[in-house]
Amino acid sequence: MYKNIGLALTFSPTGKALLKEAERIANLFKSKLFLIHIGKKDDAIIAQLNMFISDSGFESKFEIIWADGDPAKEILKASEYHKISLLIVGALEKESFIKYYVGSVARKIMRKASCNVIVLKAPSQEPKPFKKFYVSTEFTPEGEKTIKTAYLFALMEEADEFVIIKDFYIPGFASALQELDSLNELENTRIEMQNDEEMKLKLFVNELNLKGVPIKTVSLYGKEGWESSNYARLNSADIYCITSPAGKLNLIDRIFPHEAEYTFEHLPSNLLIVR
Amino acid sequence: MQMSAQQIAVFLLSISIMLFAAKFFGEILNKLKQPAIVGEMLAGIILGPTIFGYLIPGFSETFFPQSGLIKIALDGITTLAVVMLLLVSGLEVDLSMVIKQGRAAITTSVLGIIIPFVIGFAAAYYSPDLFHAPDNNRIFLFALFTGTALSISALPVIAKTLVDLNIFKTPVGLTIISAAMFNDVIGWLIFSIILSMMDVSHSIFNFMQTSALIFAFIVILFFVGRKIINRILPYLQTKISYPGGVLNFIFILGFLGAAFTEYIGVHAIFGAFLVGIAIGDSVHLKEHTREVVQQFVNNIFAPLFFVSIGLRVNFITNFDPVLTIVVLILSFLGKIIGCTFGAKITGFSKREALMIGFGMNSRGAMEIILGILALQVGLISEAFFVALVSMALLTSLTSGPVINALLKDKKTKQLFNFLSPKNIIFTDILSKDELIYHLIEHTPNKINKKEVLSKVMEREEAIPTGIANYLAIPHARVNIDKPIIICAVNKIGLPFSAFDETLSRIIFLLLTPENKNELQLQLLADISKKFQSREKVEQLFELDTPEKFYSALKKL
Repeated sequence: MYKNIGLALTFSPTGKALLKEAERIANLFKSKLFLIHIGKKDDAIIAQLNMFISDSGFESKFEIIWADGDPAKEILKASEYHKISLLIVGALEKESFIKYYVGSVARKIMRKASCNVIVLKAPSQEPKPFKKFYVSTEFTPEGEKTIKTAYLFALMEEADEFVIIKDFYIPGFASALQELDSLNELENTRIEMQNDEEMKLKLFVNELNLKGVPIKTVSLYGKEGWESSNYARLNSADIYCITSPAGKLNLIDRIFPHEAEYTFEHLPSNLLIVR
Repeated sequence: MQMSAQQIAVFLLSISIMLFAAKFFGEILNKLKQPAIVGEMLAGIILGPTIFGYLIPGFSETFFPQSGLIKIALDGITTLAVVMLLLVSGLEVDLSMVIKQGRAAITTSVLGIIIPFVIGFAAAYYSPDLFHAPDNNRIFLFALFTGTALSISALPVIAKTLVDLNIFKTPVGLTIISAAMFNDVIGWLIFSIILSMMDVSHSIFNFMQTSALIFAFIVILFFVGRKIINRILPYLQTKISYPGGVLNFIFILGFLGAAFTEYIGVHAIFGAFLVGIAIGDSVHLKEHTREVVQQFVNNIFAPLFFVSIGLRVNFITNFDPVLTIVVLILSFLGKIIGCTFGAKITGFSKREALMIGFGMNSRGAMEIILGILALQVGLISEAFFVALVSMALLTSLTSGPVINALLKDKKTKQLFNFLSPKNIIFTDILSKDELIYHLIEHTPNKINKKEVLSKVMEREEAIPTGIANYLAIPHARVNIDKPIIICAVNKIGLPFSAFDETLSRIIFLLLTPENKNELQLQLLADISKKFQSREKVEQLFELDTPEKFYSALKKL
């Protein structure tokens, strides 16, 4: 499924765990693994890096990509150049207040990568397969692709749970009460819409004809993007899968977060971004 | 100075009369399928100087005096009411939604502000006498106000229209609602600037200081305040009584914001509105809480406010037909041209763009609030105010019916846009494959039938498309622009492996464009929903012409 996998490597405390996680995923997909290191290339660093890698218990073949400059930009550039189709990064569950607006390396990669990305929230030196897949979808060709990609992944992991979530929200809905006196009428309208959504979600998933891992569908009412990711968090998903945001996300999208930005702001679990 | 027991009794009695009259007329108008606000305004007009004041002069003077302690108390209540109204309006403004909808909503909204604004400004600036401008030294401000008054849109009326017509989740509905939200924010921003420019002499801050303070307020509220609110809300919902604690919190913050903006020389409502937006943005604010707050404000405080307007102004002596007609023409023209044009250039069809234009045209409560505030500070005359109120009500009354007329078929949704009697055929075919082949023969000649056949059969083999109650929907996504639906009513049942293990006799062939997943789902859902009752479906078999079948299907 992924020929070339890239890992953004740093000498951080989680670096060794990330190496092991990346090794597991690369073995699972039988892919070639590239380690991307940002910094000047000299003998001292090379020695340190080799030490670090052998310390981690990493045993597979790999290739190191050296780049210097702005980390996020260089990682994205290198992964495009080496035709990397899956990029693995580690990230904090939440960023500090200032960093959230400025953007960390991991967040920049999530927002801008042109390939699939796996974001690991708490990598372990003894990595375990993902067993609980939670997938957020839209009724679009992109949403379909996300489900299919995640499903193939789930099949390889021999997952136990595959939950497809669609959230929907009607902005300004309660304001109709100002004119509509009846609370019941409004609630009935909403319930009717929700039933409609549930039916459509079932039909949508049915259309995909997926077999192997049992599928559950869930339709939720609430802010789009947040409701699904919160559902994944509450049910302690192993990995939460979303479609990569269509346009480029900018500062304005962080000030007024919507959809994927809610997930990036506060990671519910490990994350797979499908493009 | 204290109110005597008798004055307190009269005051309480006044409030109860106002509430009763508002509800009474509001309900009547609701029964007539018209906005309740029209009834509430009517109640005020009847109780106030316009009708009762004329017929029974003693009544108005006793219960709604124009001066004295009772008036001060009543004014206090209406100020409270208008602050609350703006707070709950803010709660429903979802700026993330506007950003998400992006170009279409913002272009529609901006053009829907600029065009009516320019028209209103020019008209008022060059012929202030027509508008009865009260103060010739403030023509510029007056013209600014007139522009703003023509460019505002009202979210509640629009939301209700969309609920009634069930088009909330369509691209048209989402564009209207997001554009209206953006419009609201810009409208109130311009209006507060006008008000702060007016008040320079009374305020402790000058215009520049006020602007700096309001800017700082917005930045802090949206960068820091929102995050804090988002942290506090879940805590309140679990630790303090729900929804009481949350309601309390919303109003405490709302009044704080209102007090601050009033203090710095911008009207209190602007602070309440901004705080409302910041709270409404939180993902933790439950829909139930929103509804409870709306119910509370809309059943008690909003009616008091709208009745009080009729009590203040005589709607007959101040009615200037020429001015009213001019205001009506300018407002309809400006808003509809602006929004329709904006929607058209962002890719909507002519019909959809017109729906958006008329949807955005309703002014409702927001216009009336804007007008009464301008009247209070002496910026406009009573005659202009009456014209604005007439315009607000008329635009609200017309937007629903016009959108409805522009929608081809409202209740039956998408399905009947693509199905017609000539696509319904009666067949007597013995096998499933042959029936599908026959259905495809009936599709228009321009499509590639071979490709369609292979796709439909492929889908059929993967998962059979029998549903239940004699229904089957073989379908595929193929290379076409518009959905094609052909319906066959077969003499005998055929095996489509339906869930309820019945044989299928009514078979819809559904072909949809390749990249439109949602449309396909909607049509599948629409058709399936028609076949909920087995008995009713069995009655369809009796019908012998496509026309009869078509209209019976519509009624299912």
